[in-house]
Amino acid sequence: MKRTLNFLSVLFISIIISTTLFAQNKKLTGMEVMQKVYNRPTGKDMVSNLTMVLINSSGNERVREIKQYYKDFGKVEKKIMFFIKPADVRNTSFMNWSYDEPNKDDDQWIYLPALKKVKRISSDSKGDYFMGSDFTYDDLGDRKPEEDTHKILREEKFNGEDCYVIESIPKEEDYMYSKTITWVIKDKWIGLKKEFYDEDGELLKILNIKKYDKISGYWIILETQMHNVQTDHTTKMIMSNVVIDKGVKNNMFTERMMRRGIK
Amino acid sequence: MKRLIFLSGILIILLSLIKADNISTTGYVRSYMGLLLNDNNDYSIIQNTLNLNFEQIKDKVALKANPYIYQYPHNNLKLRLRELYMDLYFNSIDLRIGKQQIIWGKADGVFITDIVSPKDLTEFLLPDFEEIRMGITSVKADYYIGNNTLELVWIPAFQGTVMPDSNSIWFPKMDLAGNIIYDFSDMKVNESFKNSEFFTKFSALTSAIDFELMFAYAYDDDPTIHIHPILNSQTHKLSGVLLKPKYNRLHVYGGSFSTTLGPMVLRGEGALYTGKYFNLSELSPSTDNIIKKDYLHYLLGIDYTTFYNIKLSAQFIQQYILDYEDIIKNDEFENMGTFLATKDFLNETLFTELFIYYGFNNNDALIRPKVTYDFADGFEILIGANIFTGTKGRFGQFNNNDMVYSKIKYSF
Repeated sequence: MKRTLNFLSVLFISIIISTTLFAQNKKLTGMEVMQKVYNRPTGKDMVSNLTMVLINSSGNERVREIKQYYKDFGKVEKKIMFFIKPADVRNTSFMNWSYDEPNKDDDQWIYLPALKKVKRISSDSKGDYFMGSDFTYDDLGDRKPEEDTHKILREEKFNGEDCYVIESIPKEEDYMYSKTITWVIKDKWIGLKKEFYDEDGELLKILNIKKYDKISGYWIILETQMHNVQTDHTTKMIMSNVVIDKGVKNNMFTERMMRRGIK
Repeated sequence: MKRLIFLSGILIILLSLIKADNISTTGYVRSYMGLLLNDNNDYSIIQNTLNLNFEQIKDKVALKANPYIYQYPHNNLKLRLRELYMDLYFNSIDLRIGKQQIIWGKADGVFITDIVSPKDLTEFLLPDFEEIRMGITSVKADYYIGNNTLELVWIPAFQGTVMPDSNSIWFPKMDLAGNIIYDFSDMKVNESFKNSEFFTKFSALTSAIDFELMFAYAYDDDPTIHIHPILNSQTHKLSGVLLKPKYNRLHVYGGSFSTTLGPMVLRGEGALYTGKYFNLSELSPSTDNIIKKDYLHYLLGIDYTTFYNIKLSAQFIQQYILDYEDIIKNDEFENMGTFLATKDFLNETLFTELFIYYGFNNNDALIRPKVTYDFADGFEILIGANIFTGTKGRFGQFNNNDMVYSKIKYSF
């Protein structure tokens, strides 16, 4: 009996080692790379401050500040944002429930303090720009890898990091981008740079990651910059006071909290 | 002099609140000017506003005070409190006590189940809805079960709709012949527990649908006008009318919902009002010329974002008097529609909007185009127009009040 167990143990270990070696040698596809980027773990829950600086072609700046909470409930990820600045949107809140279930649209609500109403809104327009910035909702991570076909163009060093260069072409016709090209850091699965091409194939925007760090064991992007080369408008997005896996309460993602807000 | 001392005292209190620890102070200053498009180009309004919000929120308690001052030409000042309340937070229950705005329903720009906070219609439906809905002294309890909420509201002292003065351009046109005399002696509702109002609502927010169910034991915010014809003692013909407004009780059973259908949001709201009094079309000298009937008021609306990111919203609203009789002045069915189109430009610094109310029964409308430009963070410049079409009905009665207006607002 003991010999049988020893044999099975050796067999099991051999299978693990050979599988691992096979996996290391196997060349990843573009889809697999982008799935690793999409699924890069960022913790079960997160609290952070988000500052957006919008800079127009004349150099004039506008600043938006948000406090955001996120929690992964397994089959659904919930996010709630409280707008702090500018003063005229203060106390506005936005809640998003995103589902693992394929083809199930996100549920979204917005609370407008002047109307004192929580309004359900359609999440269909993911090409909408977020708060006047150069980021669409899709750019902010809502776009699933399955919505595009991905191809590894090459592997190269960028900003001192070994990167895959991935071309992604939307499956949907008439999408706002004809393609994107992403530089993905090989061992961290962070998209370090991304170029967005418009429907005519012209370069539209360039996203650069300015700062990322390991927080509570997770690679977290802390500062990005999106530059629209056609309008010369730029958005800086800075995340601060990031707290991960400290146990955000489930009832944070409710109508009650949208109305109550944070001070 | 007394008024000056009073206002100085209020100012000192406000300034001390600003200095108090951990109390956030926000608000806005606004300059609002309206110009009528009549031959004289009269101003419909020249108003400066200081609106302040003092808020403090702690783990278990919170407070809010929202005083505001309207200043009109010749230093005419109006100081009011829109809200002044305290919150108490328990595990599953929130209590809010004090003067507060309470907004229900899913409709935009229409009041169906949204009948808790009384309305200020001194400038018709033109101000922002934040200013139309007044705060009301009440006790509100919210009991939470997940994303479901049971809400109970007790209003100890009734307050009705604030109507414009009889010399205002927004005073409703009375379709009555002869001399009109008002008698407000029956209008006051005594402040007693017996005369208080009760509202309850169950609401749910789910992935598939959001809905609300409500019941109200309330007063009709709009008084019933008891009409007493005055006959000429010699000719025995109608020489005028005596109008006696009086508030009456209503029971309201209603609900609302909103859900997404692909790219669209579908909204609905409806209520059955029992105990409403309607005026009669033919005046009789021996009665008050009113009749009690139940009526339904409901709405269906769609929100949709179309090409070039233009956001559209349309609502159809119907009011239906049950067990209708031909002697009633109102139509059996009153149909109304609203239409809204918005589009922003220049990274959400320039906003354009067109909002239309349309009354099908009288073929009248209120058309409200406006353009808002965010000059800097928190500083906006708004130019708009209010155009009334038709000759009678809710909007047509104001067809001499077409206007252009500007609002310059600095939020802090």
